[in-house]
Amino acid sequence: MFIRAIRTPLGAASVSIIVLIVLVTILGPILAPYDPLAQDANHILSAPSSAHWLGTDNVGRDVLSRLLAGSPLSILSAAEAVAIGFALGVIPGLLSVYLGRVFEWLSLRIVDAFITLPFLVFAIAMTALLGNGLQQAMLAVGILISPGFYRVTRAAALTAASSQYVEAARLVGASPWWVLRTHLWGKVAPAVAVATAGAMGAGLVIVSSLTFLGIGVQPPAPTWGGILADDLGYLFQQPFGPLYPTVLIMLTVGAFNGFADALRDAAGIAGHVRILGRTRRPQDAQTTATPEATHV
Amino acid sequence: MPDTQPASETPTLLAVADLTVSLGHGRRRAQVLRGVDVAVAPGEIVGLIGETGSGKTTIARSILGLTHIDGGSIRLGGTDVATLTGWRLRAFRRAGIAQYVFQDPLRSLDPQLTIADSVAEGLRVRGGLERADVRERVAAALTLVGVSPALATRHPGELSGGQRQRVAIARAMVLEPELLICDEPVSALDAANRIQMLDLIQHLRDARGVGVLFISHDLGSVAGITDRVAVLYRGRIVEQGPTAALLTASQHPYTRLLIGSAPTLTGGAADRTRRTELREQLAAIETG
Repeated sequence: MFIRAIRTPLGAASVSIIVLIVLVTILGPILAPYDPLAQDANHILSAPSSAHWLGTDNVGRDVLSRLLAGSPLSILSAAEAVAIGFALGVIPGLLSVYLGRVFEWLSLRIVDAFITLPFLVFAIAMTALLGNGLQQAMLAVGILISPGFYRVTRAAALTAASSQYVEAARLVGASPWWVLRTHLWGKVAPAVAVATAGAMGAGLVIVSSLTFLGIGVQPPAPTWGGILADDLGYLFQQPFGPLYPTVLIMLTVGAFNGFADALRDAAGIAGHVRILGRTRRPQDAQTTATPEATHV
Repeated sequence: MPDTQPASETPTLLAVADLTVSLGHGRRRAQVLRGVDVAVAPGEIVGLIGETGSGKTTIARSILGLTHIDGGSIRLGGTDVATLTGWRLRAFRRAGIAQYVFQDPLRSLDPQLTIADSVAEGLRVRGGLERADVRERVAAALTLVGVSPALATRHPGELSGGQRQRVAIARAMVLEPELLICDEPVSALDAANRIQMLDLIQHLRDARGVGVLFISHDLGSVAGITDRVAVLYRGRIVEQGPTAALLTASQHPYTRLLIGSAPTLTGGAADRTRRTELREQLAAIETG
């Protein structure tokens, strides 16, 4: 599925950007030409030059260095939120098919409750309750991402669990764990991969929104959202300032969403994949059948 | 009077007695099987015939522990399977005494697994065999059902309907079962494949001594290979006995209707008249 996805133009372009962003995340602090926190009173709000490729900000800090240094915090925070959402959504989603009606009912009601909570307000409330840190905010975001993973996983698992090949496996004495590993995970994984890629993009938007508001990160630590917020205050003096973090955020979110679309098309996943309240439609209605749906 | 008792005097492999099953929930719950008695002796092919919705598959699912039963007993190889639950049921299934062949092999074979993996699944679940032994037994099972082991690396979607059904039988036979429950195994096949499949089932009985419960709505298929036939009508066994005797001297109007419904090349209007009479007789029994 992954190979099929990256063979499409959308998939190839998205993966190229994601690889670039990952490299920047890993090597960004090393590649930064200046100390991202070092202030230079002689170069306040200076235009792009050979010394400062993207110019400097309102206290003379090199914008390029701050963007590079801010990459790990922005990307890893989004990844952390997605990892929490994955763990809290995928595992209960699979178990809800197996652990009987009580667990199924309880988990569905909890998921329904989470879906009603607004992301930013809940994240702000969590940081107010647990302290203003990105970890606390990401825990809140992860919890709110989890219903998307739960529903995607449960839908795929339910379809596969009621299939005859699962019944055939049970008839030879296969344990629920065996069925999960051998028959269900292969059917659930494509849908979960699509949800993960989509959630990464959405997670980055939330991280950027929170850091834009100054939630979860202490100044002067650089983040893409924080840099955007700082530069917006000097829009008239430095019109291109807010453009750099904006383009970076849009490019990254677009790459993850594009990769999610390419994965979904490659997997032939049916209908809509709902992530963080957004509904994603397959571009091609001809590819709406799941692998097992073509046989069931 | 219809013979509702198992005819076999030999030790039974499968003995279903007074089986009652209800399906659905709440107001929609309905009794689909009422006091069903069926027996299969080792090496015997017993046909279970009836119209769609008569409860044939429910009997099979009950025998295999896939459907909860209201009452009665199901003894399989000396074990009352109706009392087994949880890990005891799994352990019993791993022994592989009874195996099931589904109607549609395309749905019963995992599209993501290779033929070898599907056939080997029962052996792997049971455990205790080296990889080489598993491979060897999978190849032997495929050869037994007439599928080249060279196809073992293919996926179900790459095989023909007949090959897939053979693979489904190989998956069942690899565990060396004593009882094979075949649920409409030929209904999705063309005439040539149907004959080959019936020959294969008879060959498995002759070569391996396996007992077979052959479920079908097609009288021709049942008549061709079974030793005894049980006729199921609206959740009850209305008649059962040796195949030849039942086909030539059936007692129950439904059985006669089934036999009379078989299309003939010369029948035409006479067949239609006969079927109308039988339907009227059946309706009279139901209302009276």
